[in-house]
Amino acid sequence: MEAVEVEEITRVFEPRRRSGTRVVALDEVSLTVPTGEIHGLLGPNGAGKTTLVKILSTVLLPTSGKARVLGHDVVDETEAVRPLIGIVFGGERGLYWRLSGRQNLEYWGALYKLSSREAKERAQQLLERVGMADKADERVEEYSRGMKQRLHLARGLMGDGKVLFLDEPTTGMDPLAAREFRALIGELRDEGRTILLATHDMVEAEMVCDRVTLIDRGKVIATESPRTLGQVLSRFQRIDVEGVPLVVLDEIRAIRGVASVTAVDGVGTRIEVDEEGATQLVLERLVSAGATSVRTSLPSLEEVYVQLIGERGMEI
Amino acid sequence: MRAFRAGFALELWIIRSNPDALMPLFTAPLFAIIFMAIVRQSGRPDLESDALMAPVLMTLLWVALQHAGTLMVGDRWQALLEPIIASPTSLASVLLGRIMSLMCFGLLSFFEVWAVGKLVFGVSIPFEHPVELFLTLVCTALAMAGLAVTFSALLVMTRNAYTFTNSTSFPLYLLGGVFVPVAILPDWIQPVSSILFVSWSSDLLRASVNEAPVESFWPRLGMVLLLGTASFAIGRVVLHYVLRRMRASGELAAA
Repeated sequence: MEAVEVEEITRVFEPRRRSGTRVVALDEVSLTVPTGEIHGLLGPNGAGKTTLVKILSTVLLPTSGKARVLGHDVVDETEAVRPLIGIVFGGERGLYWRLSGRQNLEYWGALYKLSSREAKERAQQLLERVGMADKADERVEEYSRGMKQRLHLARGLMGDGKVLFLDEPTTGMDPLAAREFRALIGELRDEGRTILLATHDMVEAEMVCDRVTLIDRGKVIATESPRTLGQVLSRFQRIDVEGVPLVVLDEIRAIRGVASVTAVDGVGTRIEVDEEGATQLVLERLVSAGATSVRTSLPSLEEVYVQLIGERGMEI
Repeated sequence: MRAFRAGFALELWIIRSNPDALMPLFTAPLFAIIFMAIVRQSGRPDLESDALMAPVLMTLLWVALQHAGTLMVGDRWQALLEPIIASPTSLASVLLGRIMSLMCFGLLSFFEVWAVGKLVFGVSIPFEHPVELFLTLVCTALAMAGLAVTFSALLVMTRNAYTFTNSTSFPLYLLGGVFVPVAILPDWIQPVSSILFVSWSSDLLRASVNEAPVESFWPRLGMVLLLGTASFAIGRVVLHYVLRRMRASGELAAA
């Protein structure tokens, strides 16, 4: 059985005022996450990641389409879905600030129908696991942002869910804590859990995910392993070269598949290609022109991301 | 039951760290002094027990309505509502537990007004019917919590729930016979009052602190419980539909 099945989910937010805008947050998104997989949902702000996580968490209804978690429909079988999932939403909110971390967890344990003793025990275990045991009895309002984020994660694990939805879980964490957190995600997978990780952090997706779905403007662009996605984008290869005469660069510019030839400070000239086979032609021309300092680079997931999503920059 | 206990414990923790919620306990003695002064001025010593019971009911109603307007709204603004909804627990039961926790503190107002009567006016509440008094107070607190769940559900999407609950409390005081018995209100109001458990509670509370036997105690207490339970049941249904609507519109989380 697949842990998560999403079939042509569309979610439209209708304007609440006449002057408002209709927003298509998800547009016929389909996705499958096998049991035991860490699946990344990668996209910029406003891509639709959180909307999808909310639909799968049963807190938002889709406009159309179907989604199932461990075989249960997230709209019609919410009572079956909810005990099976754990959710971690990003951000500083979502905790009772005037309570201690331990009290927050014990409350959440009770909501997941643990007895008082079970809730206390699990809270202690999780506080130790996320490195918060020594701060457990301090009020949440005294925690740093990263500590709150770790408490969010512990809260998401209180119900011992088989499927975890993590929405930007490392927001606010320092690099060391984020690295420990990624190790923890691996441990959770080893325990047999399935994890859907929504993130805009390419490095994070590349480091922890078995597969990644690129999503932008509510549409799935691709679902592949981080490595395969990189290979797919090999046609977008980048070549850095130094000391090439302008006339040769003009010839290269005319080669089919060369997307750009630009001068880059500290690098020399950067040639970007966007068609398979173009790299070879460019390299042949560079070698015949006597260029000796030539460097090609394999695309990182970040480059895949930027190339596929385009150069929208901060635009949402 | 676990959901109820979870809500009850949560609110105890919150009150311990933030006792603002107990503000009505500061006003109950003041209202007792005002009402006692009025009945003394009017030369009606027979109404002294009534004057002391009114602030108790007012405190319970105030606590119930005030928190009905703020608990869910607060959770929504703190982005807590979504994870709570995503848990396998009945939100209505959690809310009931939270409000009952507050009601337990609200019941302390009874001892406050008793102390005011004794120390300021030299009046003792006659404990002629302690069992009836105790059961009436407990059932009233339960019914208030049930009513508060309905208000919570209705108010969760409003931006100024506090103003609404504040202004709703006075019609309820009036229709519930908190200040004066419903029997002396205009005839056309009485059918409305009779479907409010508060009117049954206030009559029963007054009867429990009078020397005369409490007539038809069990049927009247049953009405308090029945109407309170009905309030809770309505609250559950309303909550179900409100949450469904919020899930559809994407408004479970406030921006």
